[in-house]
Amino acid sequence: MKGKSRGKVILPCNGLDKEAGTLAREMALKLAEEGAELVCPVLFQRNPARYKKELGTGELLVIDGCKTGCASKLAKDKGLKIAGRLNVTEMLKEMGIRGGKKPVPDPEHLSRLLAALGGPGEEEAEGAEEVPSGLFTAHVEMNEFMEGKFFFKVPKAGYFFNENDCWARVEGTRARLGVSDYVQQSASDMVFFEPPEIGKELEQFDDAGSLESTKTALDIISPVSGKVVAVNGELVDAPELINQDPYISAWAVEVEMADFEGDRELLMDCEAYLAYLKEKVRKENQERFG
Amino acid sequence: MGVPREKIDWCPTIDYGKCDFCMECDNFCPHRVFERREGEEKKLVVAHPENCVVFCRACAKTCGPDALSFPDKKETTAAIKRMREEAGGDEG
Repeated sequence: MKGKSRGKVILPCNGLDKEAGTLAREMALKLAEEGAELVCPVLFQRNPARYKKELGTGELLVIDGCKTGCASKLAKDKGLKIAGRLNVTEMLKEMGIRGGKKPVPDPEHLSRLLAALGGPGEEEAEGAEEVPSGLFTAHVEMNEFMEGKFFFKVPKAGYFFNENDCWARVEGTRARLGVSDYVQQSASDMVFFEPPEIGKELEQFDDAGSLESTKTALDIISPVSGKVVAVNGELVDAPELINQDPYISAWAVEVEMADFEGDRELLMDCEAYLAYLKEKVRKENQERFG
Repeated sequence: MGVPREKIDWCPTIDYGKCDFCMECDNFCPHRVFERREGEEKKLVVAHPENCVVFCRACAKTCGPDALSFPDKKETTAAIKRMREEAGGDEG
């Protein structure tokens, strides 16, 4: 076991509010026994330079206690690149456990969390790079327009959008999903992409993974229904691809679609989205600058 | 969506039994859906449901005490499709 977590840097929840927090702290201590470096959130807040060496060399795993996500927010505020993230409350929820209100860890809850850690959790991210070949290789032509000082790009064909500014690039019964140029410009630098599980069945408008930027957090809201067949491992490693190339290399998820004809009714094609986006940014500019 | 926004039932509902008025959701939401009410018992209300982006649930993710809920997405989708059909029928 010892050495298993070497090269990892753990930033846990401070762990003094509810049981979930104390469990996050205990998990971090356990990973430290296996060779991971620990970052104390309170000390890090006060003196980030203290952890410069660890954070410069290791992969950062953030362990949040609850949905408030203080550890994630701290990482984001300090501009850290998050390689992986756990949320104790969500992990417990999947096990049918509700965490206690008092900051006291239940040993049984802890052992179940640790068992889950040793299990599939981390393998998933590794296995996430399965990418079927042959599709989605065609060149994509872009329309461009300018509003204020911002340039926006929208593909000319082959993409379908929802009003949540997420796209589906459709070929046959397959679709790749991602977010539009508008999202990357308004959210600013992307720092984290959490993919859905491969095999997950999505209904139209379900979450197909989540993103965090230096400014905000958002879900990828799937324009189509279907089954997740692949996630983009490159995007997990480099979420900034969304800022560089939102429509092609920054695809997030590939799905085998279930009912594209039915889903399409509530989607915009490229031309309609271009018009929608023009109007949206025009209005936003008007509100901002009068 | 092809349906007027005000006809679509989609916005968060605050469970005041759980909400601790930390205002994280209001700090997060850029669409001014929530409104703070200083000096009132309900210090935060959903004042502008029509501003809420249909199918966005991002504010709920910021909620530590899990006090925000949304309508059933499948039902909302079906209702939108139904309204579109009805509107289409009127035109035809």
